[in-house]
Amino acid sequence: MIAVPHLLTWLIFLPAAGAALLLLFPARAVTEVKTAGIVVALATFVLSLGLWSYDPAVAAFQFGERVRWIPALGITYTVGIDGISLLLVLLTTLLTPVALIFSISHVKENVRGFTASFLVLETGMIGTLAALDVALFYVFWEVMLVPMYLIIGIWGGKRRIYAAVKFFLFTMAGSLLMFVAILYMAVQYHRMSGVWSFSLEDFYGMSFPIVSQTLLFFAFALAFMVKVPLFPLHTWLPDAHTEAPTAGSIILAGVLLKLGVYGYLRFALPFFPQAALRFAPWLAGLALVGIVYGSMVAYAQKDMKRLVAYSSVAHLGLVMLGIAALTSTSTSGAVLQSVNHGLSTGALFLLVGVLYERRHTREIEAYGGVAKFVPVTATLFLVATFSSIGLPGLNGFVGEFLILTGTFNAPGAPRWWAIVATSGMILSAVYLLTLVQRVFWTPVRHEENRSLTDIHASEFVVCAALVLAMLAIGLAPNLFLDKIHGSVDTLIAFVRAKSAAPMEILR
Amino acid sequence: MIPGAYSLDVSAALPEIVVASAGCLLLLLEAFLPVARRTFAAISILAAGSYMVLLERIPGSDAFAGSFDGSILARTFGLFLGLAAVLTLLVARPYLERAVAAGLIASDGEFYPLLLWGMVGISLMARGLDLLVIFLGLETFSLCFYILAAYFKSSEASSEAGLKYFLTGAFASSFTLFGIAWIYGKTGSISIARFADAHVGADPLLAAGLVFLLSGFAFKIALAPFHSWAPDVYAGMPTPAVAFLSVAPKGAALVVLFRVFAGVFDGVVPGRFRAALAAIAILSMIVGNLVALAQRDVKRLLAYSGIAHMGYVAIGLAVFGRDALAAVLLYLFAYALTNIGAFAAVAALYRDERESHPVGLLAGMGTRSPLAAGVLALCMISLGGIPATAGFIGKFFVFKAAIEKDLVWLAVVGVLNSLVSLGYYLRVVYVLYMREPVEDELPAPLAPESRLALVLCGLGVLGLGIFPARLWQIVQAASRALPSLRP
Repeated sequence: MIAVPHLLTWLIFLPAAGAALLLLFPARAVTEVKTAGIVVALATFVLSLGLWSYDPAVAAFQFGERVRWIPALGITYTVGIDGISLLLVLLTTLLTPVALIFSISHVKENVRGFTASFLVLETGMIGTLAALDVALFYVFWEVMLVPMYLIIGIWGGKRRIYAAVKFFLFTMAGSLLMFVAILYMAVQYHRMSGVWSFSLEDFYGMSFPIVSQTLLFFAFALAFMVKVPLFPLHTWLPDAHTEAPTAGSIILAGVLLKLGVYGYLRFALPFFPQAALRFAPWLAGLALVGIVYGSMVAYAQKDMKRLVAYSSVAHLGLVMLGIAALTSTSTSGAVLQSVNHGLSTGALFLLVGVLYERRHTREIEAYGGVAKFVPVTATLFLVATFSSIGLPGLNGFVGEFLILTGTFNAPGAPRWWAIVATSGMILSAVYLLTLVQRVFWTPVRHEENRSLTDIHASEFVVCAALVLAMLAIGLAPNLFLDKIHGSVDTLIAFVRAKSAAPMEILR
Repeated sequence: MIPGAYSLDVSAALPEIVVASAGCLLLLLEAFLPVARRTFAAISILAAGSYMVLLERIPGSDAFAGSFDGSILARTFGLFLGLAAVLTLLVARPYLERAVAAGLIASDGEFYPLLLWGMVGISLMARGLDLLVIFLGLETFSLCFYILAAYFKSSEASSEAGLKYFLTGAFASSFTLFGIAWIYGKTGSISIARFADAHVGADPLLAAGLVFLLSGFAFKIALAPFHSWAPDVYAGMPTPAVAFLSVAPKGAALVVLFRVFAGVFDGVVPGRFRAALAAIAILSMIVGNLVALAQRDVKRLLAYSGIAHMGYVAIGLAVFGRDALAAVLLYLFAYALTNIGAFAAVAALYRDERESHPVGLLAGMGTRSPLAAGVLALCMISLGGIPATAGFIGKFFVFKAAIEKDLVWLAVVGVLNSLVSLGYYLRVVYVLYMREPVEDELPAPLAPESRLALVLCGLGVLGLGIFPARLWQIVQAASRALPSLRP
C-alpha cells in the first residue's frame, strides 16, 4: 500500500472539509448531497486502511504529526495512533459510511444538514482517538456533542428533544470537570517545569499526591464513565438510542460509547494510576452491576431499540470489567470487545432500523413470525445476535472469552468477578434469542406483516460489510489482537511502574 | 505649554477627533442635505475604520499631561471597540430602514452620530489615565445611549427602556462620581499613576471610595446585584444599539477597573477585595444563568446571558494580574464577535419591532433563513462555551488564570454555570431547527450588509475558536502595558 503523507490529518479533516463543501450545494440537490457525503465517507474509509501498516513491534505512537497550535501555552496539534486506537479509528471510518448508506432511502428531510452532521461527527471521533495533546483531545471530545445533539434532535423520534437535551447535558456535565482538571494539570506542569505543555507525554510524567490525584481521577473518570456509560450513569443512553434515527444509533453505540473506554485507558488510568488502582474494585463492582442489571432490564423491554440499548449497558460493563482487572489478556480483550460491540450492536440497530422503516414501530409485539417474509433480514439479524452473545466463530466470542479468562486469572481480582460476569453471557443469550424468537419465529399475529418487504440492496451491502468484519475477527482474531497486544502491555507496564513510584509531582 | 507637546497631544487624540467630527458631519448632512442611508452608514463605518487605523499610529506615550493613554493597551482596546462599531453599523442600516418603513421613527439620521459619539465616549473611558477623563467618557457615552435606548419614539417598550436606563444610569454615575471624590480626598490626586505614591492601599476611606466606584461601573457592566436595568433596556432598545451596548461599554468599564485597582493596590488586590469581586462574579453567573433559563424573549434571554458572561469576566477581575487582564481582553473579543453575531441574527430574523421578541417565533428558521439561523445557533454554542468556538477560548483563558492563582473552586463554579447556561442556549438551537414554523409568512430576505455582518461574525467566532494564538499574543502584550500589574 502506498504510504500517504500526513495520513492522520487527512483522515481527521477530510470529513469536515466534505461537510463544509456540502454546505455549498443547493439544499434541493438531495441526490447529489447524498452521493457526495457517501463518497467522502468512503474515501475516508479507504484512506484509513493505510493505517493497517501500523507496526505492533514498535511500541510507540505511529503516524505521528506535531504542529504548534497555541505556542504561548505549549498547546500543539499532536496526533498519532497506537494499538489501542488503531482498530477504533478503523471502526469509526467503517461505521460512518455504513450509517450514511443505510440512510439513503430513509432520511428525507434536510438531507444536507444530516450528511454534514455525520461528517463533522466523524472528524470529532477520529480526532478524539488520534489526539495526543490533552487540550486538542478535549476540543475534539466536545465538538462531537453538537452534531450528535442535532442528529438526535432533528431527525429523531417522538421524544427526540428530551433525549437530545438529556444526552447533551449528561455528557457535558461529565466533561466540564475534566476541563478544569486538564487546566489544573497544565498549571501544575508549568509550576514544576517552567514551561507550558498539554502534551500527553508530559502529562504522563506527572504524578500527584493522593488527595489531588483522587479528585483529578474522579474528574476524568466521570467524563468517561458517563460516556461508556457505566451504571448508574447510563440513564441517558436508552432515551438517546430510542429516539435517535437508526444511523445515529449506529454511530452512538458503535463509536461514541467506546470513546469513554478509550479515554479511560488513554488518560484516566495512566495519569492517575494509584487512584485508578485503588478504585478499580469499585469500577469492577459497578461494571458487574451494569452487566446483570442491564441484562435484566433489557429482557423486560417491549421496544426493540431500547432492548438493544440496555444490552449495550451490559456489554460495556463487561468491557469495563476487563479494564478494571488490568491484565494483559483482559485489557486486550476489552479493546477488541469494544470494536466487536461496535460491529454487532451497529448491525443490530441497523436491522431494527430496517424493520422500523417498513412497519414504523419498534414494538416487539407488533411483529412475530416475520422470518417468512423477510428471510434475509432474519438471517442477518440472527448472525448479529450470535455475534453479540458470543458464539464461537464470530467476533464476540473472542473478546468476551479474553476478558473473562483474563479477569479470572487476574492476580488482584477475586474469582467471583469473572463468575458473575459469565452470567452476563448467559443472560445476553436469553434476552437476545427471546427477541429473535418473538420477532421472527413465533406464528404470524398481524396480517399487515405479510406485506413486509425484505432488506434493500443498499441496506444489505452495509450489513454484509459488518457481518464480514465479524467473521474476520471471529475466524482470525490474532490478526487483530497482534496489533492491540503490544500497546496494551506497554500501558499496563507503565501503570504498574508508575503506581509503585512515590506519589509526588515528578519530572 | 510647549507647542510641540501640544501637537503631540492632538495627534494622540486624533482617532477620537475623527470619529466625533464624522458624527458632526452626519448631523449637518441630516439637517441640510439628507442623502441615502447607505451613505450615512458608509461614512460611519469609514469613521470607525479610520479610528482603528489611526490608533495604530498614535504616539506610544501618554498625552495631555499624563491623562490619556497611548499604550498598546489603548490600541488593543481600540481594535475591539472599532470591531464592535463596524459590525453594529453593518447591522444598523437595514434594521433602521425597516423601522422607518414600519413608522416607528420618522427618520433614522441621528442614530449614526449618536452611536459614533457614544463610541468616542467609550474610547475616552478606556484611554483615560485620570479619573476625570474617565468620568467624562462615561457621561458622553451614557448620554448618547440614553437617547438611543428611547430611540423608537412611538414604541412604549423603547421609551420605557430609555427612562429606565437613564434613571439607573444617572444613579450609577453619581455613585461613580462620589467614589472619585472620596478617592481624590484620600490620595490627593485624580491621576491613577499617583495613587500608588499615596501609600494608602489599606485605608478604609479609600476602600469606601473604591466600592462606590466599583458599584458605579458594575451598573454599566450589568454585574449582579447591579443588573436589574439590563433586561428591560435590552428588550426595548433598538437591536443594533443593544448589540453595541452589550459589548463595548462593558469592555471599557473593565479596563478602567483594572487600571484603577492596579494603581491603588500597586498590583496586588487585598484578600477582602478579591473575595468581594469573587462574590460579585459568582452572583452574576448564578443570577444570570438561572433567570435566563426562564426567559421566553430572546433579547431578555441575551440580557441575562450577558449578566452571566460578565460574571465569568469578573472571575478575571477577582483573579487579577497580567494574565487575568489578557484573558479578560481575549474574552471581550470573543464576546463581541459572538454577542454582536447573535444580535445581528435577531435583528434579521424578527420582522416586527413593535412587538416583543419571543423565542418561539424563531421556530423553523433553520430552513427558512439558513444563514441567520446558522449564525445564531453558532453564537449560542459559542456563548455556551463549546470548543472550536470563540466562547470556549475566552473561558479557557479566564479559568486558566483562576487556576494559576489557586482559585480552582472559582473555575469549578464557572464551568458548572456554563453547564446551566447550555440549558437555555440549546433551547434556542432547538427552536431554530427542531420545531415547525409558527408563521406562514417567510422572513424578509437579508440585506447585503446583514449578510456581511453575519458572515463576519460567524467566521470570526470559528476563526478565533480554532486559531486563537495570534490574538492571545496581542492581548498578552497589551496586558503588560499596565506597569503596576504583576504577572
